[in-house]
Amino acid sequence: MLRAVNRVAGGLGLLLLSSASTARATERMQHHERTLVAAIGGDPGHLNPAITTNGGVHTAADLLYDGLISLGPDLKPQPALAERWVVEDKGARYRFFLRHNVRWHDGKPFTSADVKFTFDSVLLRFHSRTRASLGPVLLRIDTPDAYTVVFQLRRPYAPLLAQLDVDEGPIIPKHLYAGTDPLRNPANMAPVGTGPFRFVSYAPGTEIRYKANTDYFGPKPRLDEVVLRVIPDESTQVAALEAGEVDWLFGVPGPERALLKRDPNIRLEQTTVSPGGDNCVSTVGFNLDRPTFADVRVRRGIAHAVDREQFAERVTFGDGRAADAPISSGIAFAHADHLVMPGFDTLQADRLLTAAGWRRSGADVRIAHGIRGIRDGTRFVINFVAMSGMSAYGELLRAQLRRVGIDLRVVSLEPVVYAQTVFTARNFDTAIAPYCEGTDPQIGFQRTLVSSSIGPIPFSNMAGYRNPTMDSLFERAGAALKLDERRRLYRTIQELAVRDQPYLWLVETTSTHAYTTRCTGFGAVAHFAATAVCHR
Amino acid sequence: MTRWYVLRRLLQVVPTVLGIVLVAFTLIHLAPGDPVLALAGENGDAAYYAFMRHRFGLDQSLPRQLATFLARVVTGDLGHSYVQGRSTLAVIAERIPATALLGCAALFMAAVISIPLGVIAARRADHVRDVSISALALALFSTPTFWLGQMAILIFALALRLFPVQGMTTAASDAVGMQHVLDVAKHLALPAAVLAAQELAVLIRLTRNSMIDELARDHIRTARAKGVGELAVLVRHAFPRALLPVITVAGSRLGHVIAGAAVVEVVFGWPGMGQLLLTALQTRDAPVLLGLFIVVSSSVVVVNVITDLIHAAIDPRIRLG
Repeated sequence: MLRAVNRVAGGLGLLLLSSASTARATERMQHHERTLVAAIGGDPGHLNPAITTNGGVHTAADLLYDGLISLGPDLKPQPALAERWVVEDKGARYRFFLRHNVRWHDGKPFTSADVKFTFDSVLLRFHSRTRASLGPVLLRIDTPDAYTVVFQLRRPYAPLLAQLDVDEGPIIPKHLYAGTDPLRNPANMAPVGTGPFRFVSYAPGTEIRYKANTDYFGPKPRLDEVVLRVIPDESTQVAALEAGEVDWLFGVPGPERALLKRDPNIRLEQTTVSPGGDNCVSTVGFNLDRPTFADVRVRRGIAHAVDREQFAERVTFGDGRAADAPISSGIAFAHADHLVMPGFDTLQADRLLTAAGWRRSGADVRIAHGIRGIRDGTRFVINFVAMSGMSAYGELLRAQLRRVGIDLRVVSLEPVVYAQTVFTARNFDTAIAPYCEGTDPQIGFQRTLVSSSIGPIPFSNMAGYRNPTMDSLFERAGAALKLDERRRLYRTIQELAVRDQPYLWLVETTSTHAYTTRCTGFGAVAHFAATAVCHR
Repeated sequence: MTRWYVLRRLLQVVPTVLGIVLVAFTLIHLAPGDPVLALAGENGDAAYYAFMRHRFGLDQSLPRQLATFLARVVTGDLGHSYVQGRSTLAVIAERIPATALLGCAALFMAAVISIPLGVIAARRADHVRDVSISALALALFSTPTFWLGQMAILIFALALRLFPVQGMTTAASDAVGMQHVLDVAKHLALPAAVLAAQELAVLIRLTRNSMIDELARDHIRTARAKGVGELAVLVRHAFPRALLPVITVAGSRLGHVIAGAAVVEVVFGWPGMGQLLLTALQTRDAPVLLGLFIVVSSSVVVVNVITDLIHAAIDPRIRLG
């Protein structure tokens, strides 16, 4: 018996040894020159971007689809499935003229019926963001002919175009989805789109393969094939890039960035666009339902005690910049330049907290005195609820607030429990959220400040901030069609937000893409490989 | 007799799995975290969350959800994954081969390496060889699998370039036949070795102790007195009997191997059930989680039956019944 075991073991050993010696050679041999291999952090589960806002699904599926428009690097709308459009009725009606001769990957013609079906039957039911933002505004979609689509709105709505790109409004084929359950349609696993790449195969947990769509209506892809490889662990992704097994990473963790910077075969590129969302700002919210934060002097005092630069350096390892306004600088037209935010000034913090009734009692302790709703002598102890990936913010904040006598206790929760604790149960003093503001303030920023967004909805108005002036300003900014007027309104909104300080806007986070020098010409995340080219 | 024994043992799967399903169902549904929140991500509205809860039947009472689930399970239907929208059985079935391959390779590696080491250690207990081997076993047992995996990647994949970093096959590979087997083998080597490490430690200690017990028995003393060579004493007389507890424990380690595989699969991007389990936990995908529990618990019972059969085949003193 031992002999038999030894024989099998010897065979296995030989097999592994012989395969190991050829490992590197085979890797390169099978890695075709015009094939791009990109790493993704998890199996998306399906490839229908119209039924979910999940970043993993959009990263994997957006290459296959198009929206009516696309957004350029400056976030300006550019033609995609619609070749042009006109805005009518003072912004309450948008008329889109579709490209002729666009075909689905299975050869069927693309028409206005696909657009109407996608919005009415899929996006407005299952895409939570499009449903929440466009649903209340949209009256109906008309299709006067096969190549014209009319969005009839209840009221003028300026940000519509920013919500019609492939992320927010991917168009899926009516002929495959009509009369079916979109969540369980087999096409979700073998998708048919209009995008620059066609679906080839999907091996769950392993990889998804695409080939170039040579009939694409836009610039033809320069790659023959794209492979998205599932590698859940970030460190392993970096190792795979160094070993030449993958060519592109959507993100690199902080400590590994320094390592990759030294590698002459790898390039790094910072961007505010990431699979998880665009223009994200790590934001701390004060729970305004609690008496501790009822006084704006407490919120301002804490804001003065915080050194935002340190968060950019020590928490994001340089993958971000200290926020200098509530709206991300990635939304250039709305970002308020030279806004006066509370600066790092512990003396001022001390003055404000004392004036609000939180008196010093020893070096590191502050106690309540004459504060409504709080018993005199209560110590200033607050919790800080964070998703597991963001608890480092809490550790630094704890150190910074200790200097002004506030005892912050970090509670780290996994994402689904965090969402329930903070947004459904509202069981927190302070909490941090990675609010992604999207391509327009109405999409991802408005929800943090308007009173209609207070409720058990993840990543809504976490602070519970209510201000009728703020609500009215957002309403006007959403309806204003002139960019200058919108810019002015958003500046007023940001000034009011900073004055009331329901949040601390800490860091505008960025992502760092990493790729091998054999590949160049990458675009934004949605169609990142459409313009790329790889050489041997 | 053996047939009845096997049938009776296999029937024991039913109450075991039922118990596991009841406990798992209750724990999953009582644990904090809402699958609809996980699924919807940012910016849904209240109507959307209510609509999705209704679709998944999460708006019903817990006993009613359990009754619906059990009624389905009886007909072999494990429902649909919340996240993937596909049949749970299909979602799990496509991951089983990868985990089975990884687990079997790891157990095989562990057995092939640990048994000889255990025998060598037992040959002269407390000698320098025994102490070294025991220290190695302790070190392997104490090393976190996650860290060991990263070290294996840094040394064997990045520095020495002997094995690939990740995956089960080369990216975009169209290899078939023997080329495909070699491709999978080279990707399997590192994750299987890392997963084998913990098992190796357990089996070394077990073989060693079992062999020391056997070597102290009368029949060994008699064999030596009759002038039987030391190698023959070890291999022919002590080893077969010492192997019995090792086989029993190796079979019962399946559950541990699958649990360890979850970590190894994440580190090496191995597309098995462990990776699926982690994703399903993060998204509270209850149908997939319950399906995985059913598959894993059934496998453990079946493997235990197989272990008993092997036990009986090796040891003529054992009669199944």
